[in-house]
Amino acid sequence: MFRRAQLLYLLKESFAGFRRRKLTTGVTILIMGAAVLVLALFTIVTINLSVLLEQARSGIDLRVFLTQELTPEAQARLQPELVAIPGVRSVVYITKEAALAQFRAELGDEAPLLDVLDSNPLPASYHVTLMPDARDSETVGSISETILRWPEVSDVIFNRVWVEVLETWNQRFQLASLIVCLVVLIAAVSVISNTVRLTIAASARIIEIMKLVGASNGFIRVPFLCEGMLEGLLGGALAMAVLGGTRYLLGAKVGEVVFFTPVQIAGFIFMCVALGLIGSWAALRKYLRMQAG
Amino acid sequence: MPVDSKIYKGPFDARTVIGFYHVDLEYKDGRALSNINFNVSNGEFVCLTGASGAGKSSILRLIAMDCFPTRGQVIVRGMMSSKMNRRRVPQLRREIGFVFQDFRLLEDRSVYENVAFAQLVVGVQNKAIVSNVMRVLTQVGLWDKRHRLPLALSGGEQQRVAIARAMVNSPKILLADEPTGNLDPVVAQEIIDLLFRINESGTCVVFSTHDHEIVKTFGRRVIVIEDGSIESDEERYVPTKRSASLTDRMYRPPTGFFRDERSGKEVIGSV
Repeated sequence: MFRRAQLLYLLKESFAGFRRRKLTTGVTILIMGAAVLVLALFTIVTINLSVLLEQARSGIDLRVFLTQELTPEAQARLQPELVAIPGVRSVVYITKEAALAQFRAELGDEAPLLDVLDSNPLPASYHVTLMPDARDSETVGSISETILRWPEVSDVIFNRVWVEVLETWNQRFQLASLIVCLVVLIAAVSVISNTVRLTIAASARIIEIMKLVGASNGFIRVPFLCEGMLEGLLGGALAMAVLGGTRYLLGAKVGEVVFFTPVQIAGFIFMCVALGLIGSWAALRKYLRMQAG
Repeated sequence: MPVDSKIYKGPFDARTVIGFYHVDLEYKDGRALSNINFNVSNGEFVCLTGASGAGKSSILRLIAMDCFPTRGQVIVRGMMSSKMNRRRVPQLRREIGFVFQDFRLLEDRSVYENVAFAQLVVGVQNKAIVSNVMRVLTQVGLWDKRHRLPLALSGGEQQRVAIARAMVNSPKILLADEPTGNLDPVVAQEIIDLLFRINESGTCVVFSTHDHEIVKTFGRRVIVIEDGSIESDEERYVPTKRSASLTDRMYRPPTGFFRDERSGKEVIGSV
């Protein structure tokens, strides 16, 4: 598209802002880096909360306690009905004896305590496991309510509270992250946009001359777009370096925390480049509109 | 398009490089031009004159398609303003050289770089750039000063650099907006002479000036603009004191008697 001499020129001009306004450009990159760092931290917390929630949810099973031991006919009737409920993956019937045996095994050394009992106090039950996408408190709640209405059922239990707390926090945090992300993104774009606008203003004469002698609009735009992208790239790289450095220094203390994968880091930096591009594009649009008016 | 069909196309022929047909131009703060009609043929040398603010610069901007008419049509080298895709404006600009009163040079670059820049941005090969820049700088007599910065040159020299930059892409049309406005009369005349030489080589030249001295001695087509309209448009053959100038002797048509078609009388000078 462009000749080598033109490419050399464009490359040189892309660094014009860096050369002529070192302080402004440096500050821009710092602000960009700080903004992206905030973004990255929020993302990391969100990712980790989701992981925790996922872990908690995978423990969600329903225990359906029955009023009495079921006859094999009743079992044959109830089991398919349970499985037919949307979200239910599998159902296992646990007899009174099996429940007692399990309890005994869980007690271990203290199992002889149970010998005091003259009858088996444990009810028969169904152990219901759920599909992964049914493991949120709302779905689990509605499934348990459905089952509770059956006459054979005395109670349904699951670890509702823990999941609900986690879910609430996860939702709140996601909302907060979203707002913070939006604010940070807008800030990052406008900071870059402003800096590029300075470069454009300083280059008004050269832009005018390029237009005059018939340079294509693309050729005129490229250096400014490159400057924005470069600032985005450096800001993003800075943020990732700070984040990676911190993780390295903290080492074992944060061993449990889920960190970005290299692909995600590359994605983050790529996003910063895109933000730079958007910022400088906005600056150019504004400038060209001014020219037309 | 009904509007287009009403537009007077004028005596448009293959030699027409610039055509204005019922052109109105309105800026936000009022009307700049109204009902401008004229044609410029290939190789013509035209002087636009009139008071400051009469609309001379607007006409030049319209030719360069830096702005577009509110009504009417501007045709430049076959490109019609009404059908102009703005992406194609750069293409047109490569066929037009533009010179301003305030030179508009890049002050941080040498004379050579200023001229070469015009070639670089349109993608001319490096080798060709060197020879083209050498050609035009020699033409304007500044090859020896090619390493100087513009501010180290006199006003006349700076304007010659600007002209060299305008000519380096070998445009078919050279537009000059008050090219002598910042120069003293002697240097101004040198610039006009330079424009004559450029015209001699086949480039169509349109320049604007409000300098009466230049207009008085200008022996070519003069279009007078007043309050945004054409007041007069005539060929002038002025027997001038500059007749010692080579270009003038070569390019003034033979003076003599011409018959005025309407009155049947013989007249001297313009037809």
